[in-house]
Amino acid sequence: MTTPRLRAVPAAESGAFYAAAEKIYPREIGGRFSRLRQSAVIALLGLFYGVPWLDWQGHQALLFDLPARKFHIFSLTLWPQDFLYLALLLIIAALSLFFFTALAGRLWCGYACPQTVWTELFVWIEQWTEGTRSRRMKLDRGPWTAEKVLRKSLKQLLWVALAAWTGFTFVGYFTPIRTLGPAIAGLSLGPWSTFWVFLYGLATYGNAGFLREQVCKYMCPYARFQSAMFDKDTLIISYDEARGEPRGPRRRGTASRAAGLGDCIDCTLCVQVCPTGIDIRKGLQYECIACGACIDACDDVMDKMGAARGLIRYTTEHALHGRPTRVLRPRVAVYSALLLLIGGVLLYSLFTRMPLILDVIRDRNALYREVRGDRIENTFALKVINLDDRPHSYLLTAQGLQGLELIAPAEPIVVSAGSVTDIPARLDAPRPVAGGVHRIALTLTALDAPRIHVHEKTRFIGPAP
Amino acid sequence: MAMSAPPPREAHRRPSTLDVALIVWPSFLAACVASLLFFATVDPELLRDAGPRLLAGLDREAGYALGFLFFWGIGALASTLSVYLIRTDRPVRRDAGGGAA
Repeated sequence: MTTPRLRAVPAAESGAFYAAAEKIYPREIGGRFSRLRQSAVIALLGLFYGVPWLDWQGHQALLFDLPARKFHIFSLTLWPQDFLYLALLLIIAALSLFFFTALAGRLWCGYACPQTVWTELFVWIEQWTEGTRSRRMKLDRGPWTAEKVLRKSLKQLLWVALAAWTGFTFVGYFTPIRTLGPAIAGLSLGPWSTFWVFLYGLATYGNAGFLREQVCKYMCPYARFQSAMFDKDTLIISYDEARGEPRGPRRRGTASRAAGLGDCIDCTLCVQVCPTGIDIRKGLQYECIACGACIDACDDVMDKMGAARGLIRYTTEHALHGRPTRVLRPRVAVYSALLLLIGGVLLYSLFTRMPLILDVIRDRNALYREVRGDRIENTFALKVINLDDRPHSYLLTAQGLQGLELIAPAEPIVVSAGSVTDIPARLDAPRPVAGGVHRIALTLTALDAPRIHVHEKTRFIGPAP
Repeated sequence: MAMSAPPPREAHRRPSTLDVALIVWPSFLAACVASLLFFATVDPELLRDAGPRLLAGLDREAGYALGFLFFWGIGALASTLSVYLIRTDRPVRRDAGGGAA
């Protein structure tokens, strides 16, 4: 990878070591990869804005109910005890990023990163209100006419509205979204929900409207370390230098080779369409988010010049040097093996997840008590947590000692959906067998679904034999 | 204006927007991770009940938000120190031999 390009500016002028960011006016472009990116934007943002409105069996299909500390994912309800799944999911997300980066380069940056996706949406609004690249540049250079004020205000108005809606939707993942609207209208939205709506809205506006490519250039850690996952078989966007150089303008219909020129006509369209403002012809740069806009631009020009497409194209370093490209290579194999393994663990533990927890806590005050009938008694505090989304009745049994008897206040134990019940329980056993310490097991079984059962080990303590 | 060596460091210059971004942004990311890990295992209501009187009357939502802001603040403090130490580093002396440019 090339080193970051820093440009020197007189320190007195800016007071900073970095060039003041020049505003980039990405030129509008159509073509294969633009269409692909637009579809990704519509699909991903459609999901983001739409999913909180989905209902499932009478509740919001996807709701991370932080106030209640429960995550609802369709039929599944996850508790803080299920943190393992979240951890596995995050590991899978990170591994997938590595896997796709090794295979196809910066797919994430070009098509799926929220920064790209929201920036694209904000740029659409900008193009709609302020016009094409050249009109936007002219508008910014020109004086503050009524038209400029109108266009700029309309853009800001739409941007702010979109940002506010985004903040609203974001909070809708954590608070039932259908109660949010009425709460805002009635000015009864809690202070913290209001805070998050504003924070997320502000972040959206700032990142997609104002910072844009600077987030990728100066703030994104992935942009800096993604090259570690690259090798010579990774898909990259590259300018075919051997074919393009020496570049230069020429009349249409000129035989390039005969004129001593390569195929690049130096029209600089690839630079104009670039959302991060780089020149792909200078080689692979970490600012390149692999959006493919330069490919679309160059393909258009090649079509017009009657030359073959692909002067700028998706390729690999090996392919550029005329060597075969291997898709299956050790690093891809390792990433996919890890992905399969951890994905398998996640699926297995999800499908065998027991929606029941039994906590057994021994009474700390007395090891044992002697009770009538020459028996020894131990006292326990039981906590039954029903993680299922329907109520269950449970049968509690104890094994491990001859003549062991369980005395619980109510049989069976009824616990409503997604709640916790505390039960005091006593175990007693005849004195002759109770001496010393005994391992015993408590078993809790759902009466209506024997599959749902847990075993919990504890100790029964009697007088020293 | 192609690649050129960065200008020599100045010891005492005014903080730039970039400095602010370098402080606010990494600490934000760290605060997200910290909040996730911390609140997955600790219920803010337990903290409130065990904590000082000052926290009484706060609900879980307040707990999450204050916890997040707390982590963000601590992270920002660390980032501020890092940026400060890097920026006030002794300027590289170019005339002295042996120093990498």
